[in-house]
Amino acid sequence: MTAPTATQVGDRRPLRGLPVPGLLVALVLAAAVPPLAGSTSLLSNANALLLCQGAGFAIAALSLNLLMGYAGQVSLGQFAFVGIGAFTTGIVTGVNDLRMPWLVGVLAAAVTGALLAFLVGLPALRLRGLYLAVVTISVAYVASQSLFRVEWIGGGSAGKVIPRPYVGARSFADNASYLSLALVALTLVWAIDRQVTRSRLGRAFQAVKADELVAASFGIDVAATKLLAFTIAGAMAGVGGAIYATSFGTVTGDTFDYSKSLGLVVIVVVGGLGSRAGVVVAAFATVLLPEVLIGVFGSGLRGVDLVINAALLMATVAFNPQGMAGAVRHAREKRLQRKGGEAPLPPTRPNLPTLSRLSGAPLPRTPRPGVAVLEVAGVDVRFGGLQAVDGGALRVDRGTIVGLMGPNGAGKTTLFNAITGALTPDSGRITFLGEDVSALPAHLRAARGMGRTFQLIGLAKHQTVYENLLMAQHLGASYGVLGALTGVGPVRAFERELRARADETLEGLGFQRYRDTQVDRLSHGQQRIVEIGCCLVTSPELVMLDEPSAGMSPAAAEDLAATLLDVRDRLRRTVLLIEHNIPLVLGVADELYVMAAGRVIADGEPGEVVTRPEVVRAYLGTEVTA
Amino acid sequence: MAQVLVLGLINGGIYAIFALGVVLVYRGTGVLTFAQGEIGTFGLYVAYFVTVKIGAPWLVGAAVALLVTLAIGAAFEFLLVRRMVRADAVSTAVLTVGLGLFLLAIELYSFGASPRDLPPPVTGGIRIADIIVTPTQIAALVIALALGFGLQSVLRRTDFGLGILAAAQDPEAVRLVGIPLSRITVTLWSAGAALSGLAALLVQPTVGTITPGYASELFVVGLAAAVIGGLTSLPGAVYGGVVLGIAESAGTRYLDGLGIPNLRYVVVLVVLLAALLGRSLWPELRQRLAGPAAREVTA
Repeated sequence: MTAPTATQVGDRRPLRGLPVPGLLVALVLAAAVPPLAGSTSLLSNANALLLCQGAGFAIAALSLNLLMGYAGQVSLGQFAFVGIGAFTTGIVTGVNDLRMPWLVGVLAAAVTGALLAFLVGLPALRLRGLYLAVVTISVAYVASQSLFRVEWIGGGSAGKVIPRPYVGARSFADNASYLSLALVALTLVWAIDRQVTRSRLGRAFQAVKADELVAASFGIDVAATKLLAFTIAGAMAGVGGAIYATSFGTVTGDTFDYSKSLGLVVIVVVGGLGSRAGVVVAAFATVLLPEVLIGVFGSGLRGVDLVINAALLMATVAFNPQGMAGAVRHAREKRLQRKGGEAPLPPTRPNLPTLSRLSGAPLPRTPRPGVAVLEVAGVDVRFGGLQAVDGGALRVDRGTIVGLMGPNGAGKTTLFNAITGALTPDSGRITFLGEDVSALPAHLRAARGMGRTFQLIGLAKHQTVYENLLMAQHLGASYGVLGALTGVGPVRAFERELRARADETLEGLGFQRYRDTQVDRLSHGQQRIVEIGCCLVTSPELVMLDEPSAGMSPAAAEDLAATLLDVRDRLRRTVLLIEHNIPLVLGVADELYVMAAGRVIADGEPGEVVTRPEVVRAYLGTEVTA
Repeated sequence: MAQVLVLGLINGGIYAIFALGVVLVYRGTGVLTFAQGEIGTFGLYVAYFVTVKIGAPWLVGAAVALLVTLAIGAAFEFLLVRRMVRADAVSTAVLTVGLGLFLLAIELYSFGASPRDLPPPVTGGIRIADIIVTPTQIAALVIALALGFGLQSVLRRTDFGLGILAAAQDPEAVRLVGIPLSRITVTLWSAGAALSGLAALLVQPTVGTITPGYASELFVVGLAAAVIGGLTSLPGAVYGGVVLGIAESAGTRYLDGLGIPNLRYVVVLVVLLAALLGRSLWPELRQRLAGPAAREVTA
């Protein structure tokens, strides 16, 4: 089930602050090249205009790329936000309106784009998956047919006039000099986008895209993260609209027609989801393609570009889900291999026990048996007519390892989910560290110190091992949106610390060679070990493991037992463990609960509990008459 | 009031047929399709070509159009969707966006952006509450109701229908017990496409012309209707269509004074959001309203 899909992400480098020299060079080039090219007839006036529109288009495409490529949210109406940015610029800068400077117009466009996206996102993002796509189409129609046709917004049938900017006496009226401005804007948006995607925020986007439940277990607020992605993308789209509209001079509601939003989807998917370069190249190509076709083959081909675009979209989704960028990357990897590059990775036996010694600096905490970390009382979970958990109750004392056993379908994982907040039980009370957390969402329970793993591997599988270790430390990097956008302040120090801890954990796992390996290329047992590493990297108060030894070799399971004892005795953490491997449980657990058919049927000292007749009966299904 | 109801019902019938196509495909394959609207428009251009350019009667044009839409659905499934078995729902949805754009581009290239006249099959109609209702509009409502409830019993009572329901839940298991999965999916995609062709043919006579993207505009409402109806329920699609139709005609009638251009789009968006939010908040609300006593009853 891990065939490549159109959902893989390109930018995998961690954040190290703004690349100031590179950015400066790019800005100077963006500002200087167009006027020079314009004066030497290399760049005709008509082509300069096309490139101006291309820059606006590229910014809009970057906004959709952030949404689809990183946060995994599909917007089929992104041109609603592009349009609101365009008309805002018109209202702020127009001669008949506010007559303010162009730059103010562009910033105002970012604000209105973000505002509209926030308003649309607030209700829509409560919905999962494709419902959002349906709502955004509807928004696109409302925007182009209703909102932009309101006289004071859209300027009526004549449209809104957006004057070209001037700074002091310097006019940017001609296309070549305006192109400088447009490219500078594109470069800045690119830099901010790069910053966001490599920050804590970008990692949260990718975690949400990979699996919302896993993201919540990392302490990520899924709903807020989606809304933030939508809002930031709205701001970017607004800027794109300002640049786009200023190149035209006059825009109407039809300029931001619903089909334009779909064209943006073509650009992002064909360019390569998650690849800034691919998306920007595709945006410029889309604008230039019709002229090239007509220039080469004559005007009979007017309109063929749309046919080509649509065909490219279908072919990309069906045959090359990673788009142009993916194809380029693939070709480069192949060339490297021909040069006798990397040999396939040899298998490594992970060294789990050292992991717990390395990860983090645990607070010196004396184990106080008898103090409950977790208390669960009267938890009922029903799925339709099925009572999955019936009066579930257990108690986990500080500094102990508590096992939870039971035949398949006994309700162990369901109880786990109720404890971590992955599902809401029909009734019952969950007390964690003395606080009633029954009403808290999953990410806040994670923030209070509940770490967990999942039965079916809770990792972002298209991401590398290292990226997963960084994602899992979402709560460890406590800088806000502004920090993520700009990279100033303590951001770099935080990021350095996260990377150090990730490296330390890799070393503890003995997995340094798999650092940049995509998780789904590892074996099941190896993925399990990475998952446990992600859980321990933040050293949570309570470590909840759902069948950790499933898929592990016997030798690795032995290592796991040693690790669990280390977690208890050296890190002084508490462990709740679902396990079928009876020797493992008997070897480590201080106390054992057994569930069958939704009820806790036994608890007590592990060695004694497994010999009780009701436990044996639950597992073997018959009376033992020995 | 009566006018609002009549207008709402006849438009609702059209939305319902589009919605039925969406639900049929979603129910059986788990894919939300965005291409249906443009498939409908494409069918209209086929009908236009056969009747106006070649000179055949309307019924012949309509029949050819239906066959072509059917074939588009089948070809799309056979050539592309079939390769996407392992992809996620979003990728396949984007694939359908591609199909819609592809058909739109072909329409624009072959017929241009200006409207083309496709004369209606019959002129005139009957007067209900001061509104002239055309025979095709009545046909649309009747067909929507018949399909909505008829297809439901086909799904529940026939082997093929049960196969469709099972295929949606677990395609792998369905394949293992020997149900021809590929025949099911190709049938659903072509039926969904043909339903769009049908809806477009039935609604177009009221405007008399065709432009590229014409049916997509109506399809967006149909899509909203399908979502409001729960996406998996065929009768739900019909209710959704009728609710949207009536809301739209009531909104344009009573809120006209607000001076918002094309108010109907706003009405559709508001009803869609209200329905979606209502559904996501409803369980919480019910629990809070009913208290613990009701929880025992549901056990």
